[in-house]
Amino acid sequence: MDEYIFGLRSWPRAILHIDGDAFFTSCEEAIHPELRGKPLITGGERGIVACASYAAKRRGVKRGVPLHEARRLCPGLIILPSDYETYSLFSKRMFDVLRHFTPQVEEYSIDEAFGDITGMRRALHSSYEGIARTVKQEVERELGIGVTVGLSVTKVLAKIASKYRKPDGFTAIPGRDIASYLRDLPVKDIWGIGHATTHYLSKMGIERALDFARLPEEMAKRRFTKPTREIWQELRGESVYPVSSEEKAAYASISKVKTFSPPTNDREYLFAQLSRNLESACIKARRYRLAPVKIAVLLKEQNFHTEGAEARLSRPSARPLELSGVFRGLFDSLYRRSASYRATGVVLLDLIEDNNIQYPLFESPLRIEKIERLYGVTDLLAEKYGKHTLHLGGSHIIEKFGKGKRGTPTEREQTRFRGESKRKHLGLPIIHVKV
Amino acid sequence: MKKKRTIKSVEMKIMGFFREARRMPTYSEMVTLLDVRSKSVVNFWIEKLVAADILKKDAKGFLQPARRSLSLPLVGEVRAGFPSPAEEELRDTISLDEYLIARPETSFLLEVSGDSMIGEGIMPGDLVIVEKGRDPRNGDVIIAQVDGEWTMKYFRKKRGGIVLESANPDYPPIRPKRELTVGGVITAVVRKYHT
Repeated sequence: MDEYIFGLRSWPRAILHIDGDAFFTSCEEAIHPELRGKPLITGGERGIVACASYAAKRRGVKRGVPLHEARRLCPGLIILPSDYETYSLFSKRMFDVLRHFTPQVEEYSIDEAFGDITGMRRALHSSYEGIARTVKQEVERELGIGVTVGLSVTKVLAKIASKYRKPDGFTAIPGRDIASYLRDLPVKDIWGIGHATTHYLSKMGIERALDFARLPEEMAKRRFTKPTREIWQELRGESVYPVSSEEKAAYASISKVKTFSPPTNDREYLFAQLSRNLESACIKARRYRLAPVKIAVLLKEQNFHTEGAEARLSRPSARPLELSGVFRGLFDSLYRRSASYRATGVVLLDLIEDNNIQYPLFESPLRIEKIERLYGVTDLLAEKYGKHTLHLGGSHIIEKFGKGKRGTPTEREQTRFRGESKRKHLGLPIIHVKV
Repeated sequence: MKKKRTIKSVEMKIMGFFREARRMPTYSEMVTLLDVRSKSVVNFWIEKLVAADILKKDAKGFLQPARRSLSLPLVGEVRAGFPSPAEEELRDTISLDEYLIARPETSFLLEVSGDSMIGEGIMPGDLVIVEKGRDPRNGDVIIAQVDGEWTMKYFRKKRGGIVLESANPDYPPIRPKRELTVGGVITAVVRKYHT
C-alpha cells in the first residue's frame, strides 16, 4: 500500500537529465575514431586523470588518480591533454540538440543538462519516454558520443534516474514508480545530500532514500533546514526546483586555480602565477559587473597540502591594480621558501554588484577613477587582441617563461588552418582521420 | 514615456535576435527581449506575428521566420532620379557559414590528406564539412571505415550491395568485405588560397 504514497499521477511534470558518458574521452573518441574502445584518459597536462574512458575504467583507472599510478594499473594507456576547446563545442551541441525538443533547457555543467518537456507530448507526437529516448538517439547520432538519459517528475529524481543505469542508459521513473527506485538507494547518493546531512540522517536511523522520503511532513519541517526539506519534497515527486534556462548571472564567488609544472619555489614565478589567477578572476567578475568584498589566496604544495589566507578589502573592486597591496601581503604571509608548490589560486568572495561603490575615506578618488578608466581600456584590448594583452608587471614573467603547461599541447592547438590565428579557430570540431 | 509595442517593433526585436543567434528566441528569452511581464504576453504577440505571416510554426510546433527576407535593410528616403540598387534588392543575406554549414550541430571539419577524390575536385589540403547525422544517398561523397581503414569515396548502391568508388583511376572500387561504417556525408568543400 505505502508503495503508492508518492505520485498518484505518472507525469505531473516531465524533466529529463542528460549526462555525457565519460564525456571528455567520448569527445576524443568521436574526433579520433581509431581510439574508440581503447583505454584512454584526458588530463595529461595536469598530471592526474581528469576523465577515464570506460575501457580504462574497467582496468581500474579512476578520475583523480595520478598519472604514474594510472600507467601502472593499465599498461598501454593512452594519455591525452585536455582539449577544452573541443569539449565545449560538443557540450554546446548537446544542449542545442536538446533545445530542438524544448526551449526550457538548463545547462548544468559541461556534460550535463536538464530539460523540462512537460506539455510537449502533443507537439512532438510522442510519449515522454519516447521524447527522452529520441533526445538520446539524436545526440548520439549527430555528435557521435554516448549519453545517458534519466526521465522523471522532478530534477532530483531525474538525476537518480540517469545514475541508475550508466553508461548508455535510459531510465524513466514515473510518479507511481518512485518508491521502487528509492528503496535501495543510499541517502548519500542523492543529489544535494552532502556529508553532514548523510551523518545526521544516519543518526536518525535513516540510511536509504525511501526511508528519508517517507518521513512525515511534520517531522521533515521540524528536523531539516530548507535545502534538505526541498530535496525531501523533490524525492516525493513534488517539483520545487525549476529547470531554469536563464544564463547564470549571479555568482557567490569566483575562483581561478591553476596547476603548473614543474613544481617550484621561485618566489617571483609563484607570485606571477598568482597575479595571473587574480587577473583572470577579475576579468570574469568584471564581465558580470561584480566586485568582491573579500579575496582569498591559495598555495598548493607538491604533496597537495594547501594553505590559504583571506582579507577583507577596504573597497570592493575587481581591478587588480586596486588590490595589489592587500594581495602582496596575502602572498607574503603564505609563502615559505622551503616548500615546493604545484598550484596557485585566487578566490573572489562575497561578490556584490559593481555600481555606486563608495569611495573610501583615505584613498584618492582620482587614483581610483584612473584605475577604472585603465581597466575599461584593458577590457577593450582584451576583446580585440585576446585576454591578458595588457597585464600587471607582476604576471609578465609568465609570458616570458611560458605558462608552465605539462606535456604536449592538444592536437587542436597544433592544428592551424590557413587564416586561423592562435587565438581564433573555426568553430567546428575536427575529425582526425586520414582520407 | 513608455514606448508602445507594435507588430513592427516586436518583429524587429525577434528578427534581430534571430540574426545574431541564428535561432529563434525561447519564450522566456522573449519575455526579456520584448520587456513584457509574462510568457502569455509573448504568446499574444507570437499569435499576431503568425497571423500576419511574419512567423510560422513548423511541423513540430517550433517557430520560424515565414520568409527569408524578413528584416528589410534600411535603405533611406526615396528621392527623384534613378533608384539605388539597394532599394531594388530588398533581400537579407546569409553568411558563408550558413551557406556552407546547413546543420551546425552535426557538422565537423576534416582536412583531406589523400588524392582519392581529385576527380571530384577535392584536393589534398582541402577542408571538407562532414555531416555526421545524415544518411548517405546514392552518389554522395562520404567518409567511411572499411575493414578497419578510413577512406573518402562516392557512395553507390548497386545490385549486390554497396560499392565505394573513388574519383581517381588509380584506386579501384571497394566492395566492403566485412564491415562498413559511414562516418558522415561531405556537404561542402573549402579551399582557401590567401589569408
